[in-house]
Amino acid sequence: MRKHETAVFILPAGLLVCALLGVPMLMMARISLNHYDPMVLMVEALTAENYLRAVTDPYYQQVLMVTLGVALSSTVLTLLLAFPAAYWLSRMESRWKSTVTILTLFPLLVGNVVRSAGWIALLGNDGLINATLQEAGFIVGPLRLLYTPGAVIVGIVGVVLPYMVLTLSAVIEGIPRQVEEAAGNLGARPLTVFRRVVLPLATPGVVAGSVLVFILCMNAYATPVLLGGPQFQMMAPAVYDQFSRVSNWPFGAALAFILLIVTLLMTVVGSAALSRKYRAA
Amino acid sequence: MGTLSLQGLRKEYGQSVAVERVDIDVGEGELVSLLGPSGCGKTTTLRMVAGFIEPTEGRVVIAGQDVTKMPAYARQTGMVFQSYALFPHMTVAGNVGFGLEMRGVGRAERDRHIMEALKLVQLDHLSERLPRQLSGGQQQRVALARALVINPEVFLLDEPLSNLDAKLRAQVRGEIRALQQRLGLTTLLVTHDQEEALTMSDRLIVMEGGRVRQVGTAEELYENPADAFVADFVGRCNIVKGTIEGSAMRSESGSLLPCRMEGAPANASVLALRPERIAMQPGTDGSGLTARIGAVLYLGAQTEYQLDLDGTVLTAIRPTPQDNDALRHIKTGDTVNISWDPAAARLLPA
Repeated sequence: MRKHETAVFILPAGLLVCALLGVPMLMMARISLNHYDPMVLMVEALTAENYLRAVTDPYYQQVLMVTLGVALSSTVLTLLLAFPAAYWLSRMESRWKSTVTILTLFPLLVGNVVRSAGWIALLGNDGLINATLQEAGFIVGPLRLLYTPGAVIVGIVGVVLPYMVLTLSAVIEGIPRQVEEAAGNLGARPLTVFRRVVLPLATPGVVAGSVLVFILCMNAYATPVLLGGPQFQMMAPAVYDQFSRVSNWPFGAALAFILLIVTLLMTVVGSAALSRKYRAA
Repeated sequence: MGTLSLQGLRKEYGQSVAVERVDIDVGEGELVSLLGPSGCGKTTTLRMVAGFIEPTEGRVVIAGQDVTKMPAYARQTGMVFQSYALFPHMTVAGNVGFGLEMRGVGRAERDRHIMEALKLVQLDHLSERLPRQLSGGQQQRVALARALVINPEVFLLDEPLSNLDAKLRAQVRGEIRALQQRLGLTTLLVTHDQEEALTMSDRLIVMEGGRVRQVGTAEELYENPADAFVADFVGRCNIVKGTIEGSAMRSESGSLLPCRMEGAPANASVLALRPERIAMQPGTDGSGLTARIGAVLYLGAQTEYQLDLDGTVLTAIRPTPQDNDALRHIKTGDTVNISWDPAAARLLPA
């Protein structure tokens, strides 16, 4: 089959994306330029005021910074936890390999809301950890575990870990075992083999996994709402608040676009930097 | 360069034994090959020498030092992998220099050694290329240079030619052997290709089922195989089962085949006869053995004949007959007289 004939195959998926993503995005872009009036809500206009407010208001600057901070630390933590697991998984030779791969996906079977509710039961002031510690006499009052940035980060990491492990192990599997052995044979200790051979060759996986996870973290909704509590604000919940609670669609749309642009910028800059670092190794 | 000595080397995986009590000595500057079918334990043995696999029992001694417990990175072995295992993200020079870098050799000296090693394999003009920009043969030579530049005590070759096409293989075989002899490299070569082993080695070790079947020079193994397995694996051989009757062997289909009785082991149960030792005359004169031609396979310089002796099938290989040769017009279905020097037909244990 010739090249342009196979192009037909992308039509169904392409049309779906256009209809369900492209069109609403264009509508949102238009809405973000409208004016908001508390009495009549949205007024047709062509103004940058929503974007200006979003970037100059210290509150929303703070929300963006918190979002970036949580997303970056979650991505790094995920990478650190996932790499050893992915390496082990991809070098596994036993017949349990496919079983373990499916087990890796198991956490995804539990929805974010259900999972986070369970975490509340675990981490809350009356939760299992605090109750146990108080019972054992280690602490007097309950520790503040829930409604902290730490709880949000750990919660998000728990959700996105499978994506990172599977992305990384797919790439590590493509690194021939013999290449590592060759490095060992030439005198490289295991840590040097990792740094000079495995890591550079796994870079495409590190980039792909990090991008995927970073995007998921930037847009996290349920976990920050449930584990961060009312005081803790990230971008996705803030966007939702504008649409549903305040009914300020133009400002909500502007926030959404800022989130999109920042995510895109970070992704492009980050992956370019990572790729360059290891290209000439 | 040092010597290599494997003493009572044994490797078990759970219940199964991969290598059973292997004793091998490779002298300084000697090339010894481990020859055998896949699964015979030859690669496991090589990997125990390199330090990738820990033996269950026995010792690995390199240059007089017991390295059995030493990790791979601390052993002075230079290995060429079947897949070459070049670092895909490093240039040719980066690949060759890696081992020197690990040994803390400074930049300037490293570059000098890299270029020397690349000159040795005639690749000094490609030092800045990446492995994927090289042909298979060139990659193979980079792998050689990378293993040689660190001046290993022992040079290890794991099926180094199996990824090359037939013509290149013959050429590289000669090049590696010449290099090995010129530099006096103590070498252990693993191969399943008997032609490779026969042409390259000082001595061969035939392995099967984790055990050493026979050790010897190419000529010793070919002319004087210890058993039917070695006879069949090294070169081509007709193996006929039967019982001894006087000074001949009665095959299972009833033909009486002359053979050499002196030196035959007591447990001999097969007759081994090289295809090129069988002579043929067209037609029958009533004496000797008569066979029907089952097939004629033209191989260029040689021609192979399938011979049917009342159910016992033998293969004969003769130089392709020329114009005035009586065998020239022989074809499938013809009857021929066949004979051989009884001394060429050996009785061996199965």
